[in-house]
Amino acid sequence: MLQLTSITKSYFQKIAVDDVSLSLNEGEIFGLLGPNGAGKTTLIRIINRIIVPEQGEVRYQGEIMKGRHLAEIGYLPEERGLYKTMTVYDHAMFLGRLRRMSKEEVNRSLNTWLEKFEITSWKNKRIEELSKGMAQKVQFICAVLHEPKLLILDEPFSGFDPVNVELIQNELKSMKKAGKTILLSSHNMKSVEEICDRAALIHQSKKILEGSVLELRENRKDGRFAIKFKGNMLAFTHALWTGFELLEKEELAKDRFIAYVAMRGENNFQDLLKTLIGQIEIEAAWEVLPSMQQIFIETVTSKNI
Amino acid sequence: MNVSWLVAQRELKERIKTRSFIGMAIVGPLLVMLLVYILFSVGENNKPHWNVLIVDPAGIMENKILANTTGSISYDFANNYVQLKDFEKSKRFQKYDALLELNEKIISNKAAFLFYKEKPSFLFATSIQFHLERRLEEVMVGRFSKMSVQEFRGIKQPVSIAFRNLYDPKNESYSLSSWVGFFFGGVILLFILLFGMTILRSVSSEKSNRIVEVLLASVRPRQLMFGKIAGIGIAAILQFVIWTLLIWIGLFILRETLFPNMLHLSNWDLSEITSKTASGMEDSLFRSKAYNDFVELVYSRIQFGDMLVFFLLFFIGGYIFYGTFFAALGATSGSENDGQQFVLPIMALLIIALWAGYYAVQNPLSDLTYILSFVPFTSPMVCMVKLAQGYSLGEGYQIYVSFTILALSSFATLRIAGRLYQNGILQFGHRLRLTQFVTWLKNG
Repeated sequence: MLQLTSITKSYFQKIAVDDVSLSLNEGEIFGLLGPNGAGKTTLIRIINRIIVPEQGEVRYQGEIMKGRHLAEIGYLPEERGLYKTMTVYDHAMFLGRLRRMSKEEVNRSLNTWLEKFEITSWKNKRIEELSKGMAQKVQFICAVLHEPKLLILDEPFSGFDPVNVELIQNELKSMKKAGKTILLSSHNMKSVEEICDRAALIHQSKKILEGSVLELRENRKDGRFAIKFKGNMLAFTHALWTGFELLEKEELAKDRFIAYVAMRGENNFQDLLKTLIGQIEIEAAWEVLPSMQQIFIETVTSKNI
Repeated sequence: MNVSWLVAQRELKERIKTRSFIGMAIVGPLLVMLLVYILFSVGENNKPHWNVLIVDPAGIMENKILANTTGSISYDFANNYVQLKDFEKSKRFQKYDALLELNEKIISNKAAFLFYKEKPSFLFATSIQFHLERRLEEVMVGRFSKMSVQEFRGIKQPVSIAFRNLYDPKNESYSLSSWVGFFFGGVILLFILLFGMTILRSVSSEKSNRIVEVLLASVRPRQLMFGKIAGIGIAAILQFVIWTLLIWIGLFILRETLFPNMLHLSNWDLSEITSKTASGMEDSLFRSKAYNDFVELVYSRIQFGDMLVFFLLFFIGGYIFYGTFFAALGATSGSENDGQQFVLPIMALLIIALWAGYYAVQNPLSDLTYILSFVPFTSPMVCMVKLAQGYSLGEGYQIYVSFTILALSSFATLRIAGRLYQNGILQFGHRLRLTQFVTWLKNG
């Protein structure tokens, strides 16, 4: 769907993006991660043809990205704004028309989205009358109004309350189901974990990681398992004996714990469960994968060193 | 639909909804009409009525003077000497505004003194001089000739000497028409400044509220800049059309109500009336002569058709030429206030253009005026003045050359400003420096 090859861009002798290549498949949600100033926004602007790279090329559906392709792309920048004196309707009409939609198409699409978000009464309100969260919903609607095949979202969850984060996440999932491709730049690692299929990590202008979210987490697992149980902690420790090592424990309530355990010798997860059954009441057990947040922090920190 | 046009439409809608646009559309023409009214009214006496005491101890005037049909001056005669201190303080002289002192030598030296309590207007002075002169004619004809006064006036031919500069034989420099050109050029500069600042504010606010990045995903920076300049420019033209219509209606109303007599006088033939009509009318004509030129100029002599066509062309050219600077400044500044200091050089250029217009009024045939009429910074102003003065036969092509240079320059500045706009529009929070301009200009 979208291929970036060896993209390089610098400002005043400072390299913002250094030889970055990425590939987005059709119908996936791709997370673009990185600390502040890593070069994510520059990369996104290059995809949107807002700035021109010094080197490299951007291909959209196999073709070199051209102005006409922008009509198939939706973009919600991190630094987004609205004309405060315009109404929601006028705003949507203006931005929709810029995306080469007809007036009827804008009308139809706007009504659908307003109904979906249950905000039809806002249609003729001026932007300055809306709260920040309301304005952000309008910004999101304006970005998806023309039903783009590729949606690029730069920090889409910033400023949203948890209810609206959930709402937007669900919308993104629905769009993915409908075959849309989504590029998501975010610091919200929980969201990335939840909705992204693949991700890349940009740090100090370079891409340092890329892969499916599951793969990235799997590759960095350290053989820790979690057991959530009811029972006596002493009994649990005794049961582990020499085959397993208790790394950490969390007391959830009286006689309710989550314990983190590592294997010793040839023992595996099955052996652990067999050992514990009958000693305690197991509520849940799982292999602990590092969170994207951990991967992010560890990778960035190690690169900084 | 072209995206620039969509941007222009949005700008236009936004502008015409603002209070300042509506206010300017009403206040602007009102101010112009007030100015016209004041200029017209300059001819009227400040005091509606003057009581003049003619002190004529020798009885030369025989207690007579021309009948004053306008009623603005009343004369009384005193055949004894009146001391100035008495005139100033005595109760019986309180009703008089001026004392006209005639002595017996007036027959030979034609000199008299008028002592006033409140400085009279120029037209009052010319009126009273006219009245005295006409009465003296009667006295002199009676004393020194056998002719009747009518016969004397029939053969009397006043000689008028027009003082002209050798280098300006057509007296174009003092022509009122030049000032009309200056006015039109001034309006161009005023509109450039007002709407240029609007461009600056609009670009800066789009930057500061970050809508610009959303727009740039659909519109090229140059398209955005051009759409913005075009939209605000159309608003400016609309403003001008409103001004023109309101001023035209205002002038019509003034002509039909406040100044009907004055205007008709402009068509009268002074010598014909002198020989056969009442002196009151003659007097009125004499009084109006001083400002009649202006009235005639406004209503008859200005070629409004030509002026308006070229006004529009030079306005569009000048507006784009200067507007691009304002747009580039708005795009390259780090915050809304940051660009203000760089407005000063642009304003300085506009002031130079205004000065160039004044220079052209005073020195229409000078080499500098000729050069300034081709320089795009000053041509919108100077060409308006030159157009109002009238191009000499065979020199009419000059205005087209000036316009072509202006149009090409506007195109060039549009490209240069487009480059600055493109490089600066997504830079936030910095302090604008001249070196950045140079770097952004290099980075095409």
